[in-house]
Amino acid sequence: MQGTRAIAVSEITRKFGPLTAVDRVSFDVGEGEFFGFLGPNGAGKTTLIRMLTTLLVPTGGNAVVSGWDVAREPAEVRKRIGVVPQAMTSDLDLTGYENMDLYGRFYGIHARDRKERIRSLLDMVGLAQRANDLVATYSGGMRRRLEIARVLVHRPALLFLDEPTIGLDPQSRHVVWDFLRKLIEGDSMTIFLTTHYMEEAETLCGRVAIIDAGKIIAMGSPAELKAGIPGKDIVSLAVGNASTELAEALGGLPFVHEVRPEDGVFRIFVDSGARNLPALIDAVRASGGAILSATVHEQSLEDVFIHYTGKSIREEEARKVSFFVGAGVPQKLG
Amino acid sequence: MMIRFFAVVERDLLKFKRNPVVLAMSILMPVIYLVILGNSFQGKLTDLPVAVVNQDPGPYAKRILENLRAIQAGPRTFSLLGMSDQGEAVKGVKEGRYKAAIIIPPDFSKRVALSARPEVGLFLDNPDNISAETIRNLFGAAILSMRSEYVPIRENAGEAHLRDINLFPKVDYYQSLVPGVVIMAIFLGTLTTGVFNLVMDRFLGIEESYLLTPLTRAHIVSGLVASGLSITTGIASLILVVSMLITGIPLSRALGQILPLFLVIVLATLCLLSLMFVILGRAGHPRIVGVLSGFLNVILFFPSGAVYPIASFPGWLKAFAKINPEAYAVDALKAILFRNAGLAGVSGDIAFLAVFTAVTLTFSILAFKRTL
Repeated sequence: MQGTRAIAVSEITRKFGPLTAVDRVSFDVGEGEFFGFLGPNGAGKTTLIRMLTTLLVPTGGNAVVSGWDVAREPAEVRKRIGVVPQAMTSDLDLTGYENMDLYGRFYGIHARDRKERIRSLLDMVGLAQRANDLVATYSGGMRRRLEIARVLVHRPALLFLDEPTIGLDPQSRHVVWDFLRKLIEGDSMTIFLTTHYMEEAETLCGRVAIIDAGKIIAMGSPAELKAGIPGKDIVSLAVGNASTELAEALGGLPFVHEVRPEDGVFRIFVDSGARNLPALIDAVRASGGAILSATVHEQSLEDVFIHYTGKSIREEEARKVSFFVGAGVPQKLG
Repeated sequence: MMIRFFAVVERDLLKFKRNPVVLAMSILMPVIYLVILGNSFQGKLTDLPVAVVNQDPGPYAKRILENLRAIQAGPRTFSLLGMSDQGEAVKGVKEGRYKAAIIIPPDFSKRVALSARPEVGLFLDNPDNISAETIRNLFGAAILSMRSEYVPIRENAGEAHLRDINLFPKVDYYQSLVPGVVIMAIFLGTLTTGVFNLVMDRFLGIEESYLLTPLTRAHIVSGLVASGLSITTGIASLILVVSMLITGIPLSRALGQILPLFLVIVLATLCLLSLMFVILGRAGHPRIVGVLSGFLNVILFFPSGAVYPIASFPGWLKAFAKINPEAYAVDALKAILFRNAGLAGVSGDIAFLAVFTAVTLTFSILAFKRTL
């Protein structure tokens, strides 16, 4: 954690009737951090972000955002934060420029400052050419970029993004990622993001909290989280003439933790699979084995999620999406 | 801060401007309403099909038929179809082909001469109240005048005569609808602006992004009311001018009373905008607006005195008219347009509308939910 705390959450809870969407969650985010909440849909991410951004009142616990209590001083919090909700919220009937201009006015920013900032922000997200077109003519990725630019008009110190790349194609997703990276490099902005994409959390966030069924189940940097679970990268080698001797020989290598022969395929648990793959291949060849194929499975946050919950995020996803689609599920129940 | 209030207003106006169809409909619909309403209530009935079966060759039956033919030729209220089969005629009424069947029995003239309770059969399609009533009255008159050989051209000179003295320029039925049509335009305007845009934003999930900004509930509610006010008063003023032109009320009457007229239109609009906010402030689906619009229109418009005078209402409906802002607005507009009342003449109506607005608007702001 760096410097002072941008977000301090203690035992925050939100119930919707019998359902507890967020269950006594506590964590801190330091200023300048890029912090992520990773979890399947319905885990409570949107409810949590809505409580932190004053849209929902917590039923228990408290949260201090930018120095102000979200339940007691919501107006002060709103002045200081920028929020990109999960659903697309720009006005389709207005142009990109008008969307941003009105937003700037909602924050009381005066005309001259607005004009300058909007131009440079539109430039930054690559929408300067389309500024005067109706948002209805934008693609999903353009609309998302506009919405990120829009909440930066008042230069918030703290940015909240709820599933910023949901529904975007891989290319647009990478554009948004690059843009977010640029933001955090530039100044001391703090970013809080929720996502159910492992890759998003892994590539963007300095620190990640994994959330499931309203509770934080693990928290740390992606590297820490992966190191914290038993088992390592897995190298699977299909060997033509597999033998017990070969398995033993491989097991004797310093970086190998375990070798499991399964139907002519060795599943070898190792440190740093990609780096040690050549050494493994050499060892197999040295003992006269012939390699038919090789795959390396590197550990990801998905494995961390599986480790703690016994299920994969994707399975959870498929199960939950069939009941509820998109954000705001708890809102509907409430 | 005013910059925020005006931003809310401008956003709403911009969005309205981008949907010209809504604007066109808001103007066209009240005008069509005037035309439909003007023609569907007070029109005279004509050409109602009536079957006549005359079984009496005598003179009195002939007299009745002559009288009926005179009505057919004159006001053309019904067209007569001579028939011989009594059963067929009654069947025709039952099946809705004729509005009535008149059957004159064979001994009718004889009974008239003998004063032995002569009877004529009149079979009416009575579920169609208005037609049935008209035919009954006319037919009654035709029988009553059966004994007289001629219709007197001059009424009895010794009888007292009633002379109408109109205190104000004559107002025909069409003209009397103008205040109602203006109120209708205001109602439609307030239904499709103001809180409706909030409901739409909520439905589209856009509301979230505005709730996240430092806009206060007063900014949001008063901003939407202000934009709704400017749109609706514009439309209502246009409708007023157009309907005055259509019905032939001299425009000079409006020009001479521009201040009270404008004040009444503005206040009536504010009343309805705030009332809609109270009713629909928490609605999350435009369908709720759709379902309620017809209902609200009926319960506000018909007891407003725009179509039929409040004096004719039963007590409970009169009591409702006492708190119905449309009734006050109609009263004020009628006073200004038809009785040339000035500001002082409508001050009571204006006071009610102002208080109603203040109360409902305050309530809508306080009841506005600043969280999801």
